Parts: sequence; C-alpha cells; structure tokens
Amino acid sequence: MVLLTKCLPLIWLSLLTVCAGRTLYPLPGKEPQTVKLPLQTSRPYNIAHRGSNGEIPEETAASYLRAIEEGTDFIETDILSSKDGVLICFHDVILDETTNVATHKEFADRKKTYEVQGFNVTGFFPFDFTLKELKTLRTKQRYAFRDQQYNGKYPIITFEEFIAIARDAPRVVGIYPEIKNPVLMNQHVKWPGGKRFEDKVVETLKKYGYGGSYLSKKWLKKPLFIQSFAPSSLVYISNLTDSPKVLLIDDVTMPTQDTNQTYAEITSDAYFNYIKQYVVGIGPWKDTVVPVNNNYMIAPTDLVKRAHTHNLQVHPYTYRNEHEFIHFNFSQDPYKEYDYWINVIGVDGLFTDFTGSLHNFQEWTSPLPDTSKTPRQLLSQIASLVLPYAKA
Amino acid sequence: MGFNYLLPFLLLSLLVADCASRPLYRLPSEAKHATKKPLQTSRPYNLAHRGSNGEFPEETAPAYMRAIEEGADFIETDILSSKDGVLICHHDVNLDDTTDVADHKEFADRKRTYEVQGMNMTGFFTVDFTLKELKTLGAKQRYPFRDQQYNGKFPIITFDEYISIALDAPRVVGIYPEIKNPVFMNQQVKWADGKKFEDKFVETLEKYGYKGSYMSQDWLKQPIFIQSFAATSLVYISSMTDSPKLFLIDDVTILTEDTNKTYAEITSDAYLDYIKPYVIGIGPWKDTIVPVNNNRLMTPTDLVARAHSRNLQVHPYTYRNENQFLHLDFNQDAYQEYDYWLNKIGVDGLFTDFTGSLHNYQELRTPLPQQ
Repeated sequence: MVLLTKCLPLIWLSLLTVCAGRTLYPLPGKEPQTVKLPLQTSRPYNIAHRGSNGEIPEETAASYLRAIEEGTDFIETDILSSKDGVLICFHDVILDETTNVATHKEFADRKKTYEVQGFNVTGFFPFDFTLKELKTLRTKQRYAFRDQQYNGKYPIITFEEFIAIARDAPRVVGIYPEIKNPVLMNQHVKWPGGKRFEDKVVETLKKYGYGGSYLSKKWLKKPLFIQSFAPSSLVYISNLTDSPKVLLIDDVTMPTQDTNQTYAEITSDAYFNYIKQYVVGIGPWKDTVVPVNNNYMIAPTDLVKRAHTHNLQVHPYTYRNEHEFIHFNFSQDPYKEYDYWINVIGVDGLFTDFTGSLHNFQEWTSPLPDTSKTPRQLLSQIASLVLPYAKA
Repeated sequence: MGFNYLLPFLLLSLLVADCASRPLYRLPSEAKHATKKPLQTSRPYNLAHRGSNGEFPEETAPAYMRAIEEGADFIETDILSSKDGVLICHHDVNLDDTTDVADHKEFADRKRTYEVQGMNMTGFFTVDFTLKELKTLGAKQRYPFRDQQYNGKFPIITFDEYISIALDAPRVVGIYPEIKNPVFMNQQVKWADGKKFEDKFVETLEKYGYKGSYMSQDWLKQPIFIQSFAATSLVYISSMTDSPKLFLIDDVTILTEDTNKTYAEITSDAYLDYIKPYVIGIGPWKDTIVPVNNNRLMTPTDLVARAHSRNLQVHPYTYRNENQFLHLDFNQDAYQEYDYWLNKIGVDGLFTDFTGSLHNYQELRTPLPQQ
C-alpha cells in the first residue's frame, strides 16, 4: 500500500506523458528533400529581388515567404554585417530609408558620416549596431507608392534566417546572396582569426551544405548563385567554393568599388575572357544593356550577344511594375517588358520586385514541361489545348 | 485634211489613257463586309476607352487606330457639339486639359464660366468654337505621366470621321459613342428644324447604316452600343433606333444630370426594372461595384448579381495600368485586376485605357476558338 502511494506521482507523470506527449515525428523542415518539386531550369530564372518587395518591405521574412508562394526560382538578398560581425540581410549601407531607426531615441547619437565608394554618406550604419540592437528596429516599405501597411511590423533578418526560409520551402528554392559593399565591411568590422567578410559569407553557406558547380546534382538540391559588384571578392572566394558566381555591373558612370575599373573595361571582350574563369554570368543594370532616351529605348548594345558567346549568363536588374519604371515602348505594361527581355533580348534570368507578375507571364507564355506538373495542372493544360478547337 | 491634225492628238490621248488611267478597282474600304473577320462575342468585350489613350492623346484618330491595331472589340468615344452644331469626339465640355487652346492667342477672349451639372466651370468650351476653329487646335495627352511626344500633333475629330475609322478597319470593329452632357448641349446649341442633340446623334448613325438590335445580323455587321449618363436621352431615342443602349452610372455622390436622381435610386431594383426595356446593360464606375478602403477592396456589392438577374450586361469603367489607379490587392499588376473583374466578379465588358494589355491578357488566358 505504501509502495503504491509512493509511486503515485510517478504513475501520474507517466500517464500524463503518454496522453499529452508528442510523438517523435520529424519536423516538416527536416524531412528528406527528395520529395520536393525540383528547381525549373528550362526557362529564364525568376529571381525575387529582395523578396516580393513590391508588396511587403524588402528583405524581410514575410517578403521572402510571399515570393516563394508566388513561384519564384531564387530569393535574392544583400549581405552586410552588424557591429558584432553577424551577417544580416540588408540592402543599403544606412538604415534610414527602410527602417524606423529615426524613431528610436536611444540610438540618436549613432548618426555618422562615412565615405562609401568615394561619396560621403550620412546616416545610421548597420555596422555601428550590434545584432541585438538591430533586432529592436522594424522595417518599412521604401517606396511611398507601395503598400505601407506592414511598416513597423517586421525585423531585419540574419543570413542564417534567410537560408532557413529557403530550406524550409515546400519545393526547391534557390538563394542568391550578394557580397555587398565588401570593401566597406572589411574596413569597419573585424572578425576573429583574421577572417574577412567574404570568408564569413562562404563559411555560412558551407555550414548549410551549399556547394557544387552549376547544374551539378549537389547544386540542384540547394541552388545558389553568389553575386557581387566587386570582382576581387568573387575571385577570392573561388578558392573557397565551387558554387556559381555572378559579376554585377553598375551604371556606365560607376567604377568598381574594389578595382576602380570603368564600365567599358569590365564589359570588354578581354575582361570577359578573364572573368569567365571565375563567374557563370553577369548582372548588368538593364538600361545599360538597352540604352534609353526620353524614356524610349534605343538600339540594344551587343552586351548580351558578347556575354553569350563567352558562355556567360545575363541576369539584368531590376524589373518593376510601376509605370515610372517602365519605358514608353511598353505602354505601362510590365508583361510587355518581360516579353521583350525574354523573347527579343534573350536574357537568362530577371531580378524583379514583382515575382508574381513574372511568374504569371512565364506560366502563361512558356509553361513548364509536364513532368513537373501535378495531375490537376495537367488536366487544366489539356483543357486549354482542347479549347481552341471547341465549337465556336 | 483635218485628220492629220487629229491623228497625233488621238494617239497622244490613247497613250495617256493607257499609261495614266486607273483601273476601275473598288476602294478597299468599300469592299464587302462579308470578307472581314467578325466581332468576337464569346468573351467579355475589350472597350477601348477614348481609344488607346494610355499611349496617344485621347479621342484622336491615331488613338483609335492604335486601339484597333491592338485588338479592341469596340472603340469608345464621347460626343459633344461645336458652336455650329457639328458633332465632335471630345470628352470634356471644355478644351483646357486636352488641347493647346491656351497657346492660341486669337481665342484668348473665349474664356467663359458656365454651370455644368450644378457646378460652375471656367474655361474654353467646345460650344463656343466653330468646327473650323476647333480644327486649328492640337490635342494633348491629359496625364503628365503618359507619353507627351504627340502633344499638339493631332486635331479633334468629328463623329463622322470617327465612324469612318471604324468602318475602314480591316476587321469588324464596333463603335461605342456616348450622348455626352445632353442637357448642356441642348442649352447651348440650337439645330435647324427644332432638332435636339439626341436627334442629330441618331441621324448620324443612320446615315452610316447603324441599325439592328443586339446580336442581330445587321448589328453584327456594324456593332454599336449607345451610352449615356442621361436616362431620358436613352428613352427618347429608343423610338428612333433599335440599336442597343447602355445606361452609365456615376459615383455614389453624383446626381443624374437630367433627372436629379441619386445613385441609390438608379441602382435600386425598381429602377433597374424600369430601365430594362430600354437598355441592354449598365456601365458603373468600378469603385462603386466593389467599394474601396485605404486603397484595398472591400466586400463587393450585389449590383452585378442584380443586373445579371435582369439580363442586363455590366460594363464598368475605367481600367488603367498605372499604379495610382490600381488597388493594392492587385500588386501593381493590371493583369491581376483584369483577372479579378473577369473571373471573380464576372463582368461583360471593360472600358480600358490600355487596349493592348487587356487584349494580351484575354489572348493568353481565354484565347478565341480557331475558325
């Protein structure tokens, strides 16, 4: 009898565990990846520029989740560093345009002026804030004419959090991180062991199993492009990882931040010959590929042709739906713009702020081969094939 | 003897006649209608609102021709009158926003103030200019964010000229003219034989052979909808023409110009029952069908359902590509807006400033059966 009363708590606890304890199923995010819909590689890549930032503040978890929902192939981000060396997803070198830092009185004394790529910039710089401090800020929509309702709701995320979003997606989604302002980062942040900004970026990627050359089996499981405006950074990391890299090219007036080379130099045939050992493609500003006059496009340059002869992909930036960004040739219609760049110019990927629109365009004009479709999608495709022959 | 003089002349005449005379082919525009590709009637109508005015100044010949090129089913226009009673295509009662009248010093003294639909309006009014004078003006693009390169290049056109653009099209293209501001027109302009603005309007249509009820053979050869915000005008002309008519409905705060009725009255079941014998449909402002709050759509009203239950078509206005006109639900994507209105709300026609985009959307999503 005494034994029973002594064991009562134990029996009670056991009862509780059996009834209320969780069964040992693996978390969905940890399931083997073989069941996921693979990356499409048969049409130009839909690259969600800073996530679906047409709808949700850029580079937030919500904007990346939305982009994945809308059908993106790759989610794109810019990597900078906090004061304590944590890699974060953030585009600008200052926090002013896309966060509510101005409302945080406790940080009022952090406003500084630094020289960035030859220009003096004044504002609140992310590398003057620890990660903990950055996490108290909230992001806001950069453009006044876009949806303001999420302002103040979402925090800045880290590179690792960004990677987790891609990994946990219900289908294979690639990542497209940029080694952003590496010169500035290495000036202001020091990592232990003499490591540089570029080392930390690659370290993080390797930690999560990213590797493998373009279109290799390993790469197809975890697709990745590493982009940068700084060719020396891309050359530097080529020893550390065989993941495909893309050289970004700024406007015709901007020299490279690390090697001070002009647009003309880095788009010459000689340079393509050199850089193609290190990169699989280039990412130019679209108005340098096809110049513009009075908001009308003039004759295209031969940049895409020459890149293609060197077997370099071309991923121009950035496509936006708003009419202020669309040249008059396209009658304020982003679908006409997609049509031109994909079918007339023939690019291999597009950085867009409006993932959903590009996905729509591609689905309607170049739907994927049947093997990648669900039975339901196949049925609707069959229906659309039959429809033109229906009785009028 | 005279033959010597005559012969060279004769030979010369034969030479000239052979080389320079035209064979007696018909002009292309007079070719039979039977060879033209017919109007599509299996999906909602693409109505080129004032022509393709996203690209060209509104209601000009190029705006209409561009719309036809881009695949419009109907080209839409607004009919007003000049001082000498000629019917012209122009939307505003005044010329200030869409022409270069301000640059014409010879007309500087024509600035007036009139009361139009209960409000005082100051400017240069079409009813104070003869057609000849109107033709010296150049049309300009109303919105500064649209292409300005054609400003001052194209004139205002007449109702007749507009009709000939439609009739000369390489396929069957319908017209969609509006009896615009009839109260004001009849106040300011007097026609011979006591005829009213509406009479002259119908006269012009008859002159070019527009007739036949909706979907009749006559109508399919020369499709037309007559639209107006003034129900009395539509009722008045119903005895003169069996062409289908559409009743336009303004915003919830605006009263009808002829009968001073409220939005609530003219969209009531009783009124829809009343107007139904005279019209085949209604043309509401889209933000009254699905109200908007903070630039997001709220729950749709039942207007479309009530119209459809009475067999009345619904042709809302106006769809524009620019982000300031697109509610946030559509992610700055005009095609998503078309998708919503065609597939969720289920309207029967759309007045759009961007004919090409709507045509593109419809061709991608609902291609026509192949002939």
